[in-house]
Amino acid sequence: MVGTLASVLLGIFGRLLDFYIRGTDAYAGYCMAAAGFLALAHTFRRGEHIRVTLLLEQAGAARPWLERLCLALALFASGLLAWYSVRLAWQSHTFNDISTGNDATRLWIPQIGMALGTGLLMIALLDAFVGAWRATSVLPSAPATPSHVE
Amino acid sequence: MDIAAAALLMLVLFALLGAGVWIGLALMGVAWIGMLAFTARVPGDAMAVTVWGTASSWTLTALPLFVWMGEILFRTRMSEDMFRGLAPWMERLPGRLLHTNIIGCTIFAAVSGSSAATCATIGKMTLPELRSRGYPEDKIIGTLAGAGTLGLLIPPSIIMIVYGVTAEVSIAKLFIAGVIPGILVAALFMGYVIVWSLIHPELIPPIERHTTLREKLHASKNLIPVVLLILAVLGSIYVGVATATEAAAFGVVGSLILSALQGSLSRATFGSSLMGATRLYCMIALILAGASFLTLSMGYIGLPRVLAEWIAGLGLSKFALIVALMLFYILLGCFLDGISMVVLTMAIIIPTVQKAGIDLLWFGIFIVLVVEMAQITPPVGFNLFVLQGMTGRQITYIARATMPMFFLLVVAVLLIYALPELATWLPEKMMQH
Repeated sequence: MVGTLASVLLGIFGRLLDFYIRGTDAYAGYCMAAAGFLALAHTFRRGEHIRVTLLLEQAGAARPWLERLCLALALFASGLLAWYSVRLAWQSHTFNDISTGNDATRLWIPQIGMALGTGLLMIALLDAFVGAWRATSVLPSAPATPSHVE
Repeated sequence: MDIAAAALLMLVLFALLGAGVWIGLALMGVAWIGMLAFTARVPGDAMAVTVWGTASSWTLTALPLFVWMGEILFRTRMSEDMFRGLAPWMERLPGRLLHTNIIGCTIFAAVSGSSAATCATIGKMTLPELRSRGYPEDKIIGTLAGAGTLGLLIPPSIIMIVYGVTAEVSIAKLFIAGVIPGILVAALFMGYVIVWSLIHPELIPPIERHTTLREKLHASKNLIPVVLLILAVLGSIYVGVATATEAAAFGVVGSLILSALQGSLSRATFGSSLMGATRLYCMIALILAGASFLTLSMGYIGLPRVLAEWIAGLGLSKFALIVALMLFYILLGCFLDGISMVVLTMAIIIPTVQKAGIDLLWFGIFIVLVVEMAQITPPVGFNLFVLQGMTGRQITYIARATMPMFFLLVVAVLLIYALPELATWLPEKMMQH
């Protein structure tokens, strides 16, 4: 799974750079979107999506319940996002929506990435939720070396 | 829409965030609830369109590229080279090698968009070197954590891209505006180290060996690659041949070439930098996506307008407003990371700021400075986490060591308030080209 994802992303990023040098702005945006969305689930499973863990760490015995509550809420939000992303791509397809930029891409093609990525995130959250309910799997907490982002 | 309803919505948001719901998803959830409860619009399709629009926008493409560039450089020998190039020059300054932390971070900040990455990359080299020479540990940590935050202020800067995208300010202008304040902050830090070392000369280890000018110059050749990279990235923005995104692509190619020349580029490091960058970007993208929908929802609800009118009704002076905002952000920065802080508040605060007649470019620099403070305030401060991982010290110890830098940042905010030209002069100059 990670391997296929890696190769997909490798291709996307390579293309991103390449296309972009040729000046195809819109395609850079599509590729970026695809890379971002497709990596959602993977990043979630690695515990690298950012959250406030202050209360969770202090919660003690209530922690499993709080964790389940968080997962349920997140599952709900990601479910909405996934549903409407699929709908957006589907509608773009039905109405044959075309990009307003000079690339004139049929928008449903890049939007598939979003639909797929958010769908995968929802499945990953569902998996984590079921896992947390059965208390079989523990979510990876924040990575030991915090992200180098800020 | 009244203040009570607004407060309720904010309460829901903070409850969700506090409970530990992933920030991006929490933002989306609140936006959804807000739109459903306070407007007659249907949130679903608007959400998908907004999220898609943000995630595929051309301005944002600079962000993953700069993130990737940082990941590549983190895996090179650049920090060693920089230490070797800088150290001989510092022997005469009071505080000696402590300045390698500050200047090293300042230079690296000019090729890196992130504070924690700057801190980690420079610290990787200077921490063991300075420790083995017997420099006081709290000063090593303090200068490193403080100067690391320059990664945000000195362009390229991830937080500036995030601000530029959310507040619709030119990213190139923001980048250029950060240069002088960045140098100013570095100078404040160095000034502090000099004064401190003059008061406590016994705590600074003696010079090991005097180097000749010739040796100094020879050592400086280690700095050439990083200087070239800075020129390629910042120079291209300043003279106007490249947008921020194009400069970022130059940067990625440049750092790939650099790491290839150093021999640290392999299939493994390339892959890990790519995957690392993708995950990091993905994490930011989820927050940005949530924030863009929250902005839309807030706009429909009219909350920012209500808040702007309410604050305008208070009759605060501009200075009082800035001080109030600074305190607010410092408080927020104790619990939230910088990006979340910016995207969360921009949706609400921009109208207030505009109404008070504050220049959005200047405000961007102000925001970056307060986010820098957030990086080093416990309990949640990324630079503190990084240094905790690298030194094995307690976070309270690290936070105490970093305290002076925090106050110097407050001084910097007051300085750019008193002299706004510090931030706005250079970008104006650039536009005249």
